[in-house]
Amino acid sequence: MNIEINGPQIYVDIPITENFSFTITQTTVSSFVVMILLCTAFYFLGRNLTKRPGKLQVLTEKGVSMLYGLIDETMGKHNYKFAPYIGALFLSSFFGSIIGTTGFLRSATADLSTTATWAVVTIVIVWASNIKENGFFKWLKSFTEPIFVMTPMNIISEVATPASMAFRHFGNVAGGSVLTTLIYTALALLSNVLLSWIPNQFIASIPIFQVGIPAVFSLYFDFFSGAIQALVFSMLSMVYIGAANPPHDEEAK
Amino acid sequence: MTGELILELAGIKTVLAAGDYQGLISFDVWTSLFTLCNLLIVIYFGKRFLFGPVKRMIDERQKEIDGMYEDAGKSKEDAAKLKEEYEVKLQKAEEESEELMRRTVRNARLKEEEILKAAREEATATIKRADAQIAMERRQALNDIKNEVSGIAIEIAGAVLERDINEKEHEAMIDSFIEQLGEEDD
Repeated sequence: MNIEINGPQIYVDIPITENFSFTITQTTVSSFVVMILLCTAFYFLGRNLTKRPGKLQVLTEKGVSMLYGLIDETMGKHNYKFAPYIGALFLSSFFGSIIGTTGFLRSATADLSTTATWAVVTIVIVWASNIKENGFFKWLKSFTEPIFVMTPMNIISEVATPASMAFRHFGNVAGGSVLTTLIYTALALLSNVLLSWIPNQFIASIPIFQVGIPAVFSLYFDFFSGAIQALVFSMLSMVYIGAANPPHDEEAK
Repeated sequence: MTGELILELAGIKTVLAAGDYQGLISFDVWTSLFTLCNLLIVIYFGKRFLFGPVKRMIDERQKEIDGMYEDAGKSKEDAAKLKEEYEVKLQKAEEESEELMRRTVRNARLKEEEILKAAREEATATIKRADAQIAMERRQALNDIKNEVSGIAIEIAGAVLERDINEKEHEAMIDSFIEQLGEEDD
């Protein structure tokens, strides 16, 4: 029995040059589907808001309040402008992870390209905030502090931040799917061995253990891990962006 | 590559690589670009349709509730102030009405006394005048009677005696007689 663990499948490949081609992969499709779902949900949830909310609006407001509450706790009220970014990041990450459970779509976050892009966006916001706060040269100079010898270290640490974020998220989701695949195969083998005493070839070949048991692992690796990683990723983004946007005196509470 | 299907459309070679996979740990520029675009779209939609309006709604409601509480507090304060004011006014009004009453009663009493006094005086004056008149009339009547009686007496006496007597002497005599008579009457 062979187990193949692959990256995202390439659906369309349009060569542009010898070594470079335009590709559409499973990740692209998943990411697109998630985007469409989220935008539709946003549109319908944000419609017909009233001062006396219905049940759905209460839930929506609860979620939005939680987002703003979290931002208030980690970044302060003056950073409310980042709420849409954090919210979009969290939701894209969570739904990008659990969309793998549909069966025909691959988790968008199980692709390094996705998580790396998000991490880069976060670190670019951090850098831009720093430059806006201190000026470009002061920002460059901050790499040589506390002493000049530390410059390589500082650069590495600055690069390590998005890298660790990207790999953590990617690794968790991809690792989860790898584990799920392995467990799934192992369960098939187990049922094969345990049912081998049945003379009927067809009945013996039914992988009975694959029913139900993988769902438990899926619950952990897809839903729980997906939620945790989405939370961790947005939390880290909030902390880094918040640190780069300290409260000004006139804004401080 | 397995199961490769090549399409050529307008000179662009498209490979439908149904069996092809990227490496498990790989970075693809196009995927990254698409992801970035999707993220930006989600951010825009979230801001435009969900987070923005919902947050605004929550803030508005909060502001309204705060305003209501503030208004209620202010109304209560106002009401208390008004109540105090009215109580003071009521007190004053009561005092005023009492004062007015007292003054009215005093005035009435004064007037009453005045009227009574005037009436009494008038009555006294009337009685005095009446007394005086009565006295005068009595005196006149007495005089008249005296004159008449003395005349009659003289005439009678003249007639009885048929002789001339000193009229003057007799008159004085009769007067004194009548006066004695009047004194006996009194």
